[in-house]
Amino acid sequence: MVYFDSWDEFVSKSVELFRNHPNTTRYVVKYRHCDGKLVLKVTDNHECLKFKTDQAQDAKKMEKLNTIFFTLMTHGPDADISDVSGKEQAEQQQPKKGRGRRQ
Amino acid sequence: MVVLQPDPFLSELTSMFERSTEKGSVWVTMKRSSMKCQARLKKMAAKGEPVELRCLVRATDGKKNISTSLSAKEYLKFQASYATVLKAHMHALKKRERKDKKKAAEPEKVPEKAPKKQKKVSSSKKSAGSKS
Repeated sequence: MVYFDSWDEFVSKSVELFRNHPNTTRYVVKYRHCDGKLVLKVTDNHECLKFKTDQAQDAKKMEKLNTIFFTLMTHGPDADISDVSGKEQAEQQQPKKGRGRRQ
Repeated sequence: MVVLQPDPFLSELTSMFERSTEKGSVWVTMKRSSMKCQARLKKMAAKGEPVELRCLVRATDGKKNISTSLSAKEYLKFQASYATVLKAHMHALKKRERKDKKKAAEPEKVPEKAPKKQKKVSSSKKSAGSKS
């Protein structure tokens, strides 16, 4: 299995995998403090999607993915995750606007 | 594997993170699980009973395994505290090094008045850097 380079691709692929196999898909977060590494894995034992990072900003993205998976797992694979991703976009847009005005 | 209540689970997870600061890793797994065996699920499906959707969260540091099961209601509360625990312990990750990245990035492609572009450039640089 190859590590994904693009976060967005990793998220969309893993959500798709969960929707296709909601009963067998698991989401694993591995954190290694001494090396400062974070590895995310989503697998259904047939397909395996992984994302590796050492950046603190990716930990924030991971929190959003946690929310997405919690929502999917407790509300069913058809649950609407647009709320989560929508918030994400709104959060990203607001600071940009603020910075633009200041300059 | 011990199934704990969400709060004891979080405190145990915290101590796992603390124990593994010098060496070792912590794994946290999330999986959908109704906490019922296959036979029971089949019976319920045959009767047409709805299966409750629960989320099983497991954690291990290689020595000890802990787990907790969350319902749709519990997860909202759990998720907030879980995020706090993660934030508090994942501080070994690298922070954004903007100044260095600016120098490393091609300066002509990064105009000073466009912080959005700078961000994207720096993040792509990072991913490119981590690959090699």
